[in-house]
Amino acid sequence: MFRYTLRRLPSAVVVLFVASVVIFFILRLAPGDPAAALAGPDASTATVQAIRHQLGLDQPLITQYLIWLRGILSGDLGNSYILHAPIAQLISESLMNTTELAIGALVFAIVGGGLIGYFQGIAKRRASQATLSALTSFGIAIPTYVTGVLLILLFAVGWRVLPAGGIGPGIRDFSLGWQYLLMPAIALSLPTGATIARFLSASMRQTLDQDFVQTGIAKGIRPSRLMIGHVVPNSLPPVLTVLGIQIGQLFGGAIIVETIFAWPGIGQLLLQAVTGRDYLLTQDLLLIAVLVFIVVQLITDIVDAAMDPRIRLERA
Amino acid sequence: MPLHMARRMRRSRMLSLATIAVASAVVLTGCTSAVQKAESPDGNSPTKGGILHIVQAADVQPATLFAQNNPNFSLTRTVFNSLIDYNHKDLKPEPELATSWKMSDDGKALTFQLRKGVTFHDGSAFTAADVIASLKAVQRPGVASQTKSVATAISDMQAPNDHEVVITFSQAMSNTMDLFLMTPIIKAAAIDDALAGKSFMGTGPFSVKQYSPGQGFTLERYDDYWKKGAPYLDGVQITVVRDSQSMLSQLKSGQADLAMDLAPLDAASLKDTSGYELELSDANDSVQYIASNVTVPLLSDKRVRQAISYAIDRKRILEQVDGGIGSVASLPWAESSPAYDKSLVDHFARDLAKSKQLLEEADAVGKSVNIYYDAGFQPNTGIAQIAQFDLTQVGLKPNLIPLQASDFLDKLRTGGFDGMFLTGHGFGQLNPATLVKGAFPFNADANASSFDNAEYKQLANELWLSNGVPSKATLDKMNSFLLDQQFVSDLVLSTHTFAISSKVKGLSETMLDYLDLDSTYIQK
Repeated sequence: MFRYTLRRLPSAVVVLFVASVVIFFILRLAPGDPAAALAGPDASTATVQAIRHQLGLDQPLITQYLIWLRGILSGDLGNSYILHAPIAQLISESLMNTTELAIGALVFAIVGGGLIGYFQGIAKRRASQATLSALTSFGIAIPTYVTGVLLILLFAVGWRVLPAGGIGPGIRDFSLGWQYLLMPAIALSLPTGATIARFLSASMRQTLDQDFVQTGIAKGIRPSRLMIGHVVPNSLPPVLTVLGIQIGQLFGGAIIVETIFAWPGIGQLLLQAVTGRDYLLTQDLLLIAVLVFIVVQLITDIVDAAMDPRIRLERA
Repeated sequence: MPLHMARRMRRSRMLSLATIAVASAVVLTGCTSAVQKAESPDGNSPTKGGILHIVQAADVQPATLFAQNNPNFSLTRTVFNSLIDYNHKDLKPEPELATSWKMSDDGKALTFQLRKGVTFHDGSAFTAADVIASLKAVQRPGVASQTKSVATAISDMQAPNDHEVVITFSQAMSNTMDLFLMTPIIKAAAIDDALAGKSFMGTGPFSVKQYSPGQGFTLERYDDYWKKGAPYLDGVQITVVRDSQSMLSQLKSGQADLAMDLAPLDAASLKDTSGYELELSDANDSVQYIASNVTVPLLSDKRVRQAISYAIDRKRILEQVDGGIGSVASLPWAESSPAYDKSLVDHFARDLAKSKQLLEEADAVGKSVNIYYDAGFQPNTGIAQIAQFDLTQVGLKPNLIPLQASDFLDKLRTGGFDGMFLTGHGFGQLNPATLVKGAFPFNADANASSFDNAEYKQLANELWLSNGVPSKATLDKMNSFLLDQQFVSDLVLSTHTFAISSKVKGLSETMLDYLDLDSTYIQK
């Protein structure tokens, strides 16, 4: 397993390097000037030029790229132009917030999607199947900005039982923090939960047709034990693969939910960085996003390989 | 699947659902309510105590503390003071950190007497050195301020003692006092830290307890504030909520007490809603305009620019985009400005026949023109669409080009629009010279319209270099010139809005729209 993991590392490094080049130069192609954004309205050209010099933006592009790369390799992500704070600190704080949101959403997605997928997989009646199928279609089709706003209107403005937005005390005081987390996590979890449900039900139907299930029934194994102990585990590999992708999308999709619920996460930070043309912060965030995708994909492959030795042997 | 297996599954399914429902009910009823917590001010008295929860769309931009910049409206006057304030009706200076002042007869030397017993939030005394350091900061090339032209005209600053500052200018200027209104006084040793967002050492009613970049501020009452008895509030929580609808939701859910500058239609929706009030800043300095790059051949003819101005339906913009907040305008000035002339407000009342005639005279009918706007600010899209419709009516072919804010700002600064552009400007409420020397669309020395005109420069200098308020003749000349040239067509004179819960009382703003929370309290 260790050798299998090691073999996959060089390609990950190459992807990261190529991503760093693409991110850096594409950002420079985008119109807009961080110095102008920083100088604010009505600033003169002289003021903007002075700020450009202070930020080192008047240096050749290749020099700026190498300075950035050197910083990253030495563990110094630099300072945000707009927010004036160390980028490592900004990212760690907002990543923590997004992780909190994503974990909350993941729990809802796995529990909710898992349950619905499971029941859809074993459902015999057409009505039940149609209802559950409609439910998952709804979860996938309705955008998070619609469900988010609906949840706010119902539970924050209408009933006033949950806060309309913000992060509150977070995990520092979970008795309050969960109330801030509940609505954004549910809104974010719906597409993922619905996707999990669909994959699980489809996979379970395939598994239920396998011979070993009939053998199990013939041997008199209790149905619940047969389902939990044999059918579900054998149905999980495709769900795990899609879950790996969905985790990445949870982080990516958080940007909309974070905006609606004023959740100070990584999506909000990225939005602020991009709109303010905060080059360093944007570059670091995008590179970290690439890194997260690579790591999640790597972990998914490793888990797949651990669960199914055939995969390990095929890729050896 | 066999039948017995399916039955068992159904039973366990119902059991699972019941368990989830019970668990949810327990959790929902058993914990402290986050909403109640936000609704209840910490203090018990109706006039003293409590935390004011403010939501605003963008984070404070510390690098622009010395300039008027919308995201800083909630912080500048709550943490800092300037030397003077303005009377909102006649722009007469009123004491703040300066108790009195005297201008020399030639308008070139100004002596301030400073308030005694004032301390910064770290307990150190406020002195003349802090005033001089703050003004020197405004002079730095990398520091933005709309009154920079006044600051750079300072030739000398002296402090005869800790409570007196003598400032000498190279010339007399009509807007000298605007500099002292706009410049917050920051502790001399902490100016760089303030501009870098590291610390905010002022003399204002609240000190900064915590700043989370990108997220907001936690301010706490400064007990040794020089205005005795003020402030009433224990603290202020400023939170960044980027979406206007989300700000509105937080206000309506009771989580926030004050929403800064909601999108106009969101703000207008609160007008007749009980439990909320819409406070309008009486500075009236948020002017929406459409402007032309005069180097573009079509727009180099002032008849085309006038035709455009006659074609646009200002009343429709006011009603449909701004929710009726504001008034139509043909010039940039608010009522407080000495240049304001009520008889000229409707100069460009919609007149399609006149517009078409002007376009025909200029041989411009059927020609296309680009209109750029910052699509990140919701009302711009509405105004752009109305302008597109109106210009089509008179025979032009307008193309709308939405841009991101940073791209728009960059093009605005460099004059990079190959057509027309629409956005907003301020500074019609102060001394007119600040607009024509400092606000970008009108700056006679360099502006986004690339309008480089000797007569305009001369008029602007005449307005600026007057000792005291410029003469009516000078102001009339400027107004006639602006109406004639129309490189900027002002459309609606609106204002900054503060949507508040009805329990918030005593809110006021400075002439720069900075929140003044000295007398604000939360009613029980």
